[in-house]
Amino acid sequence: MLIELRGGRIIDPAHNRDGVGDIFIEDGRIVAAPEGRTPDAVYDVTGKIVMAGAIDMHSHIAGSNVTLGRQLMPELPALAAEGGQPIVPSPASWGAYATGIRYAEMGYTTVIEPAMIPAHAIEAQVELAAIPIIDVAGLVILGNDDYTLELLRDGRGGGDELKDYVAWTLHHSKAIGLKVINAGGSEAFKFNDRQFSLDDEVPDYGVSSRAIVEAMQNAVAGLGVPHPPHVHCNNLGIAGNVETAVATIEATQGLPIHFAHIQFYGYGDGGDRGFSSGAPRLMEAVNQHKNATVDVGQVMFGQTVTISGDILRQFDGRRAASPKKWALNQGDGNGTGVVPYHYKSKSFVNALQWAIGLEIFLMAEDPWRVLFSTDHPNGALFVRYPEIFHLLMDKDERARWLDDLPEAAREVSNLAGITRELTLSELAIITRAAPARLMGLTDRGHLAPGAIADIAVYTEQKNKTKMFSAAHLVFKSGDLVVRNGKVVRVTYGRCYHVEPGFDAQIEKRVKTFYDRYYGVDPSWFGVTDAVTHRPDRFATIPCSS
Amino acid sequence: MAKARGEEAEVDSALERAAELLGRARFPIFGGLFTDIAGAAAALSLAEKLGGVVDHGASTGLMRACRVMRETGATPASFGEVRNRADTVVVIGNGPLTRDPGLVEKLFPAKPGLPRPGDNKRELILLGGDNTKTPKGVRATVVGGKAALPELVALLGASLREGRFDVRDKALVAKIDETAARLRKSAFAVFVYDPAELEEPVLHTVLEMVRHLVLTTRAAILSMSAPGNGDGVNLCSTWTCGLPVRTSFAGAVPRHDAWAYATDRLLKTGEADALVWIDALAGEAAPRPKGTGAIVLSANSTRAAKDDIVIEVACAAGDHDAALYLPPISGIGMVKAAKANKDKPTVAAVLTRIAELVDERRAA
Repeated sequence: MLIELRGGRIIDPAHNRDGVGDIFIEDGRIVAAPEGRTPDAVYDVTGKIVMAGAIDMHSHIAGSNVTLGRQLMPELPALAAEGGQPIVPSPASWGAYATGIRYAEMGYTTVIEPAMIPAHAIEAQVELAAIPIIDVAGLVILGNDDYTLELLRDGRGGGDELKDYVAWTLHHSKAIGLKVINAGGSEAFKFNDRQFSLDDEVPDYGVSSRAIVEAMQNAVAGLGVPHPPHVHCNNLGIAGNVETAVATIEATQGLPIHFAHIQFYGYGDGGDRGFSSGAPRLMEAVNQHKNATVDVGQVMFGQTVTISGDILRQFDGRRAASPKKWALNQGDGNGTGVVPYHYKSKSFVNALQWAIGLEIFLMAEDPWRVLFSTDHPNGALFVRYPEIFHLLMDKDERARWLDDLPEAAREVSNLAGITRELTLSELAIITRAAPARLMGLTDRGHLAPGAIADIAVYTEQKNKTKMFSAAHLVFKSGDLVVRNGKVVRVTYGRCYHVEPGFDAQIEKRVKTFYDRYYGVDPSWFGVTDAVTHRPDRFATIPCSS
Repeated sequence: MAKARGEEAEVDSALERAAELLGRARFPIFGGLFTDIAGAAAALSLAEKLGGVVDHGASTGLMRACRVMRETGATPASFGEVRNRADTVVVIGNGPLTRDPGLVEKLFPAKPGLPRPGDNKRELILLGGDNTKTPKGVRATVVGGKAALPELVALLGASLREGRFDVRDKALVAKIDETAARLRKSAFAVFVYDPAELEEPVLHTVLEMVRHLVLTTRAAILSMSAPGNGDGVNLCSTWTCGLPVRTSFAGAVPRHDAWAYATDRLLKTGEADALVWIDALAGEAAPRPKGTGAIVLSANSTRAAKDDIVIEVACAAGDHDAALYLPPISGIGMVKAAKANKDKPTVAAVLTRIAELVDERRAA
């Protein structure tokens, strides 16, 4: 079936395109204008904005860590609804089904779950498969696990064994890339350390955070995995931590690296209250280091719950829990900390966090390297994205929000002086083209023939919140799934992963390790095609070596 | 193989009868739920379609743990962390060793584990169980006597905070104080319990002990998993709809209520008018409520009653590979079939087929 989207304004920054034109879809892909054929269906999108389906590169939507959050905070959607938007369709639910429906309504067609726990990868994959419409991929966590630390302690981190172990872990969990969360910090917490910085060493192992990140960079680069190590730095959320972030960026040896939710590292310790914007300092480093990409982790005011593999940080954060309850799962490797949190516009610190995130977006010289995220649900629920797009694209809207903030926060923020407004093309870069390129998902994030037909059509409006809350049309793999902001067809997507290959010896070594220390066979938690009962669920993307 | 009113019946006709009955039902229960993750997902989906309830045969402990989690949170450690790194393991009551008689051997393996905090020798404390014998090869202390379990936990909680309490049994006081002192100097203390054995106030006391200890050292809980893949089914419910089992889909939004949506209560009061009883796991039988006819999906049809519509299904982890909650990984893992047998349909396949038949009837 040949479908034509006729006469829309096509925003496709991957091909420097911003102009009126037509898009043709056949067999789930975008095709060149076919000569001499009449389309079977024509959608007149004159005056509408046509973009590739959006790609969320860092959103905690599945896995045992997220479900621990659901167990602690079943009331999250109801509380969030008091100050903003609940996760629809059901205000009582932040389950898998509601997640896929709401993402689709906003024009999202691919979402990356950034924190799969290796031993719980089956749960993560089963949960991901329960989310309708969107395609997904997962990042798997290493760096606080005892196998890695043993290799580094014994001086075997630079050789093929770590590379093989990383490749085996990616294979075993069907992941698209590697996540490193507070490298060494979660393990140090298990030895009762309550602080951990870049050059601190994990007790008993004598391995520093810096050494772990470097080893993982080398391993991932050596394997040719398209997505570089996805790093959550040390000292998240602490005043003055911009120095840690800059030191970590400078330590990256020119190798590709991605830093997650850097807003949470954009904090100086200046001013009367010892908390100030570190955004200019941070962005100077990001702008300079072209090997580094970041996502922002924007904060929005309202109720949320923070879910993180950084248990050291979450343990410290428990004191600010609102409502006053918290869960700390001291699991193998990183574990998970869940702390409910209410960002308040009247709070000096929260207001400044909000401003710092926007400063980071607006100080980026290269939008291809400064990508969109709220670190859902940590900075804000993903249902808040349209409001953030509005803030980035409309300086008057920013001024309105700033007026409501505490004067002390306004005074130390740089935001009021920034007049930049993101264009539709820049928005399409940070929410489509750049995440696709960074994840190695070359078949999406753009609108050229050959791309998967994931397309979002919006009705242009001055109020960008309204514009991006409800897409006019959304096509997922060529199927019309959303019309006038409502899902009209529920489909199920695919999961993308890499298979870099490894020496079979590693399987034996890992098996011996798990048998000895855990009394467990790794096959118990290995993801196979059978976990989802859908024959075409998994798709491999190529590695470069 | 299938049965209806005690007679042998074709599977297709049993499925048709089940679909007819459920299509007419006002408020059906999907109970037992001794099944794998795929079976639980299919049951949730059908319950949502029909506006019914999901419950699990081992909900008592699950519901307590859920409520405590919701009210104040929890601090669990994985089985692997406890096995490798805990220097003090307090086993509370009889529940843990009844659930897993090999638990102590698993938590105290003979070979040294991973690097762990502190340099204390590893020690087991048996608090309040009937078990007065200490296992061989493990440093162990029994703390018990005549005091009831809730009292013992409360005394330990008080002593841990160096609070004042008065008990006549001075030998017990000495043991409690000694245990509290050991906990305070532990580098990683873990309390092991079965939430089916401890009432909620006792669970809160245990968690408060952990919260007190973590101010200065490391501590955690290890909660025994429920029978019948209860934790797996409960997690599946939570990620599917955001709420644990004992959730009703009868209204516009799903509603959870551990008391209102209990299978036994709904059957006794007559609020529920149909029961789908699912009992299809290797080695475990779901405790069936008496006196109510049901649509029974069972891997062992001899357990059926006279009024049942029985559909014999494959046994998860017996006849087919199954995703189940596995205590050694403190999460969901895949268990290979003991002896693969494709003759019988899985729970998921049967429930999915019934859903299709319900849709066909509604369309007709």
